[in-house]
Amino acid sequence: MFGFVNVDSSEMLGKDFDTYKAIYCSLCKQLGKEYTFLARFILNYDCTFYAVVALSLSQDCPGFCKGRCKFNPLKRCNYLKKGEKELSTAAALSIITSYYKIIDNIADGNFFEKIICHILKPLFSHWHKKAMKKYPHIEKAVSEMSRSQFEVEKDSSCSVDKAAEPTAKMLSSVMSDLAFDDIQKRIYETFGYFLGKWIYLIDAANDYDDDLKKGDFNPYVISYGNDKSSHIHDINESLNHCLSQTLSAYNLIKTKRFGRIIENVLIHSLPKKQRNVLYNDEE
Amino acid sequence: MNPYQVLGVSESATDAEIKNAYRELAKKYHPDNYADSPLADVAEQKMKEVNEAYDTICDMRRSKNTYSNNSYSGTYQGSSYTHTNFPDVRRLIKEGRLDDAMQILNGVASHSRNAEWYFLMGMIFSRKGWTEQAYSYFQTACRMEPSNPEFMSALNNMNARRSYNPSGYNTVNPAGCSMCDICTGLMCADCCCDCLGGRGCC
Repeated sequence: MFGFVNVDSSEMLGKDFDTYKAIYCSLCKQLGKEYTFLARFILNYDCTFYAVVALSLSQDCPGFCKGRCKFNPLKRCNYLKKGEKELSTAAALSIITSYYKIIDNIADGNFFEKIICHILKPLFSHWHKKAMKKYPHIEKAVSEMSRSQFEVEKDSSCSVDKAAEPTAKMLSSVMSDLAFDDIQKRIYETFGYFLGKWIYLIDAANDYDDDLKKGDFNPYVISYGNDKSSHIHDINESLNHCLSQTLSAYNLIKTKRFGRIIENVLIHSLPKKQRNVLYNDEE
Repeated sequence: MNPYQVLGVSESATDAEIKNAYRELAKKYHPDNYADSPLADVAEQKMKEVNEAYDTICDMRRSKNTYSNNSYSGTYQGSSYTHTNFPDVRRLIKEGRLDDAMQILNGVASHSRNAEWYFLMGMIFSRKGWTEQAYSYFQTACRMEPSNPEFMSALNNMNARRSYNPSGYNTVNPAGCSMCDICTGLMCADCCCDCLGGRGCC
């Protein structure tokens, strides 16, 4: 489920891409600082996007400073000077979601996945405990998602809306934590809800063939069975619907900065990802 | 709040710039864009702020007599429903009490579920974020009463969402052949005819 929410660099100004890279590198640094060096490996684009949204609202302008990449000392990169609070929240979200992904894989992964996840679990448990203590609300949202997803998957005639609800609710809750007032809270809840729903559904669309073969849970397989090709348009429309609602919610937000990065993701990158997944359209 | 800030323009902006900024925002926050959104009331409030800001600026400028020809009166006024069998349900949806509204609708006997019933069910699901269910209810409402402008407009708005095209690029079916493709094809064919010494085919 990770990696779908990225930027489309070809539709971006160079300076915006540099800013995005700086946030990405800063989140990596934050993971190393708060957890351990190894935690940097769980860095993902989705949580970077969460960091971008969090930073787009913060009062202080973060500003940049130069540094070097820990993985490649020859590579220079920019880091944020401020914004530790937002980066720390995004780091905790990365840790907690990765931990539950491991728990999930232990429960229903294949043989090799199970072995690897069993080996990794103690390490992740340690980080998870640390993140959970500091951010109990994120823990609550993600654990609730994991629990309701398990319940939902028991229903063999589950609708697309119902199947996507746990992920949508999780992101809705995590996004609403960023708001400063009640109105903003509702806007972020809706923004997170539809973005979460899109993430869940694009993942389901991506795994359609595999899930169909293995007989794993997939709401689109439940709705359309063997006949994916004649329903690809319906899948596309259901995903579009989520993106459109996400953008409508975003239009009500007054960001202090990084608006162009968020718009790039919503207007260019996500539709492109969707075309890649549904129509194998590389361009 | 400063009305110029609401419209996102500077105080030295010209009348035309202000009118453009107003139109852009009015298009963005138009209630039709949010009718099926859980944020319908927030957008309505924003629209009201934008309208008020625009009116204030117009009044201010008129009273200064600097811009005497400023009399744009196209501010958006909220629409109201003309006829309904379910006034309570509509009120509850407007107030955001979706579960209560759903409870009333579920209590309606299946033989008296008319097109409006399906439309309102669609509205509730849409506001809850259950987009697929909402779409199917809207489709049923329009099938039962295709002449109703309210239901048709809701379905059309939803269809527009489902073809998500914010950047102007074709996001639907990349393998399709649009009118634009046909025109380009014809123009190319015409050019080829010209090149071969013909008099052109059109």
